[in-house]
Amino acid sequence: MILLKNVSKSYRNGVHALRDINLEVEDGEFVYIIGPTGCGKSTLIKILDGEELPDDGEVFVNGINVGKLRHAKVPLYRRNIGVIFQDFRLLPKMTVFENIAFALEVLAMEKTAIRRRVREVLELVDLQDKAKAFPEQLSGGQQQRATIGRAIANHPKVLIADEPTGNLDPEKSIEIIQLLDKINQVEKTTIVMVTHDEKLVNAYKKRTIALEEGFIVADIKKGGYIQHD
Amino acid sequence: MSNFFRSLPKHVKTAFISIFRHLAMSLSAISAVTVTLLLFSTFLMIAGNISLFTKNIEDDLRIHVVLQPDVVKQADLDNVQKDIEGIQGVKKVTFSDADHELELMIKEHGEDFKMYRGKENPLSNAFFVSVKDADTIAAISKQIEQLDHVKQTMYGGTSVPKMVSMVDSIRFGGMIFVILLTLLALFLISNSIKMTIYARNAEIAIMRNVGATNWYIKVPFMLEGILIGLLGAILPCIFTYFGYPYLYEMLGGQIVTSLFGLQPIYPFTLQICAALLGFGMLVGLIGSFLSTTKYLHWKR
Repeated sequence: MILLKNVSKSYRNGVHALRDINLEVEDGEFVYIIGPTGCGKSTLIKILDGEELPDDGEVFVNGINVGKLRHAKVPLYRRNIGVIFQDFRLLPKMTVFENIAFALEVLAMEKTAIRRRVREVLELVDLQDKAKAFPEQLSGGQQQRATIGRAIANHPKVLIADEPTGNLDPEKSIEIIQLLDKINQVEKTTIVMVTHDEKLVNAYKKRTIALEEGFIVADIKKGGYIQHD
Repeated sequence: MSNFFRSLPKHVKTAFISIFRHLAMSLSAISAVTVTLLLFSTFLMIAGNISLFTKNIEDDLRIHVVLQPDVVKQADLDNVQKDIEGIQGVKKVTFSDADHELELMIKEHGEDFKMYRGKENPLSNAFFVSVKDADTIAAISKQIEQLDHVKQTMYGGTSVPKMVSMVDSIRFGGMIFVILLTLLALFLISNSIKMTIYARNAEIAIMRNVGATNWYIKVPFMLEGILIGLLGAILPCIFTYFGYPYLYEMLGGQIVTSLFGLQPIYPFTLQICAALLGFGMLVGLIGSFLSTTKYLHWKR
């Protein structure tokens, strides 16, 4: 479960990215977070990921107080959540296989178990034939699928996706959203997806939370994009 | 901790693979280490020999005190030693019995003197006296000559004190130079390794993103630093191992006189090689440790 209580965050340059955010996401939910550029979406992701600390309020993910994590403990926390980045963040000098395996190696998992799981994941994200390719040899969609594979390799309870379709054409975007949907259905993974892809939000209706200038301006359980004036 | 050891073979493999996959970067770091250590090796060779020269010259600074032939009783010997030790400015007094004196003579003047071994030994007991300050050697020598049982005293000559003070300043200057060079080498090597890691600070952030703990990230980088230091030291070691003997043979083992005898090839070259390897690896380790630690805190 994800729980944000009165969370505020501002940056040194005076920008108030988040103002008094209260949010609760149940286990197994699939939630969109939408809003215009600069509305605080990315800050919200960074706070959930432990990359930024809130100025005020508390953030709980699976019962862990993320805002109080020490620097050295942040990676341990991240082992239980999967994050999909807009800019992929694959290790450039590792193959797709090695990138996914890396997320399991840090757990000191057994070698054969790692190999088995990586193959499973590669099949799930449909990249079996690209296992030995380096990220630069892949298309954007393939890189995004590799990132998803890495994020879900360790069966995380929560999956956070930061504009996973931001760099992709509509066709590939649908592929990605269907894949996330499948992960949500099959693994019962909680998914928080930041996006500004209006078509996608309207086509695949989920609970939708709209942010604007750091405030939550709408929380629509039945989904659909909000039209701005 | 057990996880650490379980992951160690994996880390070693990662370090090797990483050197190959970042080949251009690794090569530039390795060559920077090589150039620095070549310089370092040259100065180690020079410094090692200068310290030998000064030691040779300082050995000449001992007063050889030869006793009367009839002084053999332990009590008399002890008395003389006590008397010499009582003189101000005396640093150390070492006893050298007649047999030892003969061996020294054989060493200095040749095998012909071997015939005197045993009862025929015509030499008498002696002392070697070293002094605290080179300038006082003449006065102390004269003082010892006045003592009972002493037949004569000898030392390296009047030019020796001057040379010692000269060599002392050379040694002091050389020491400062070596320290500066060490600092320079430290800076150059750790800096070039820092550069290779700097280029990868994004990788470090990504590793933290996917749950790698700080030590899990650090260890392969540290191993990589050690390896780069090791690889960079290979050429300087070869240079030392073959270059020094070549120089040694060419000069005939000494510069002009035996006073400036060169360090024997072994173990000198091996010591330098060990120093180069050790230094390269240590600095590689430190450089990579510091820069990885720095970039670990670049992002949360």
